[in-house]
Amino acid sequence: MSFLLVMKAEIVRSFIIMRRYWFRTLTGMVIGYGMLMVLIAGFIYSRPGIEEGLSRFDDPTAATNFVLGFIIGMYAFGVVGMFTQGLQGMAATGVLEQLCMSPHGLAVNFLAQTVVGSVASVLSSGIMVFAVTWSVGGMLHWDTIPILVLLTLTFFNLVGFGFMVGGLVLVFKQVGQMAILLRMGLFALAVFAREEILNQPWPLAFILHMLPITDATICLKYVLIKNQMTTITAVNGEPIEVFRSVFLYPSFYWLIASCVLWTVIGLVVFRFMEDYSRSKGTLGSY
Amino acid sequence: MTEELLVELRHIHKVFTTRHLFPVDEDTRKRRFFKRRNVSAADDVTFGIQRGEIFGLLGPNGAGKTTMVKMISGLVRPDKGQALVDGLDVDKKRKQVLRRVGVVLEGTRTSIWPLTPLENLVYYGMLKDVRGPILKQRAHDLLDFIGLKDKKNVQVRRLSRGQKQKLAICIALIADPQVLLLDEPTTGLDVQSSRAIKDKVMEMTRHQGRSVLVTTHDMHVAQELCDRIGIINHGRLVACKRTEELLDVFSEQIFVFKVERPPAPEAFMELPGVVRTEVEEGLDGPALVAHLTPELEPRSAALYGLTRKLEQDGYQLRAITQRQQNLESIFLRLTASDQPSE
Repeated sequence: MSFLLVMKAEIVRSFIIMRRYWFRTLTGMVIGYGMLMVLIAGFIYSRPGIEEGLSRFDDPTAATNFVLGFIIGMYAFGVVGMFTQGLQGMAATGVLEQLCMSPHGLAVNFLAQTVVGSVASVLSSGIMVFAVTWSVGGMLHWDTIPILVLLTLTFFNLVGFGFMVGGLVLVFKQVGQMAILLRMGLFALAVFAREEILNQPWPLAFILHMLPITDATICLKYVLIKNQMTTITAVNGEPIEVFRSVFLYPSFYWLIASCVLWTVIGLVVFRFMEDYSRSKGTLGSY
Repeated sequence: MTEELLVELRHIHKVFTTRHLFPVDEDTRKRRFFKRRNVSAADDVTFGIQRGEIFGLLGPNGAGKTTMVKMISGLVRPDKGQALVDGLDVDKKRKQVLRRVGVVLEGTRTSIWPLTPLENLVYYGMLKDVRGPILKQRAHDLLDFIGLKDKKNVQVRRLSRGQKQKLAICIALIADPQVLLLDEPTTGLDVQSSRAIKDKVMEMTRHQGRSVLVTTHDMHVAQELCDRIGIINHGRLVACKRTEELLDVFSEQIFVFKVERPPAPEAFMELPGVVRTEVEEGLDGPALVAHLTPELEPRSAALYGLTRKLEQDGYQLRAITQRQQNLESIFLRLTASDQPSE
């Protein structure tokens, strides 16, 4: 109940700021779309000497794959950034101290902020995905329930990871700069994540599975691009495409496992660091 | 006695450790690899604030005033000791305590600048569990009370520093707390804004029955506003008394004897009623400054004794004036004699 009240407060605040700074909101979306278009166009047309690049991006499905990875990467970058850069920003403006003194607790306030921030991020990312994939001639397959489930799991995966990094930022202020590198790593992973990268020796494959964005991206690409179709070998030896729900897809179970892992690790680390920060006297300050 | 206290700090200790890489050693002036320094922010601090009382915490920068506020509001945990609000342990019952406490920490940046004062109050009200029509009514009432009614729909970034500070106080009051903690509420404000804030603090304490803790290094604020004053230096509470008592206890009478050449101050120390003496060099020549006992009879005797001795020793007395003793001089004396121990 208290979480809902905090979330309502965050929705009201975000909506007022978006409305009040409507020009910035609008131009942000236009610039985001424009940047993506320029990037795709750059890949397609500006590298005539690189055959590989051309062959990959001449194919609309590959381009869509890349665009989708790019958007998921941006989403991951943004969600984790809310915990790190967001924390630093609020500490610098003095708002963080007020949040720390809210009876709901810092973790609840932060979760609400991230949920609200992510709704806006998901909406604008969704519009951009459709706009850009349509522009490059690709196609996306929408299946509401699997996508909502996947987005929710991805969100909690990233929130868990964000809580862990944010907790570290509460105490070790300079981790914020390191977090930018981590966010860029997540971004790169989302762009290039596909089933093939998991074909590694098991320790490396395990680490890749446990990273917060790998299986989330693979699952989302499986639904949105492959339309949950998988290739099997028919009796006559010919490969055929059959429908297999994402809920039966191995990456989905890895996603659940990493989601549980990161949520638990994130909340435990955040609570511990908040407590430690209180003892050190650095809570709320930067 | 304990039942009457709304806020209580019991034997609080807090040491902050700072670590420096490659600092310059102050003694040798050489660069060291690493230095760890302990700074005491609270050293066995014990005091309480009664219901409906304004308690002032006075001290120079870095004395530990803000740490006290942060400990009462649960932002900093003491190493030892206990902080209680309305009988609840701040560390163990933080949620309940935070519903009873409103805090203004460096007020001007508490508010969210793109929002208006009314929107800020609604936002922070919801974060503090206030909802529905009560929240809106309280937000309007507070803006009316503090004098920001006509600015309620103006973005905070367009408000003056004093108005932002007033808003910070409203934010602290939105959950109707019993205790209000104000950290340097008038710093950087002009005379009118400072006066307005002091008046409002008085009003909310006297008429609304809240307890207020004010930290300040402005003696006038403390003297005007506070019922009781604690003086803190290097984390130690060096005095804690009612304001008038503090002024009274330390109300030595200071007399300045202007003479044509500097006298030897120790020569006057043996006179009865003289607490201490010193020589000051002013623009208009030297003067013997004598601190005399507050009691009337010995003070009069000391005054005559000093005059007579100056004449006997051949000093030409030009004028005698009495210097007004105020909280500032008390504060300076107490903090000057309380140097940190390494």
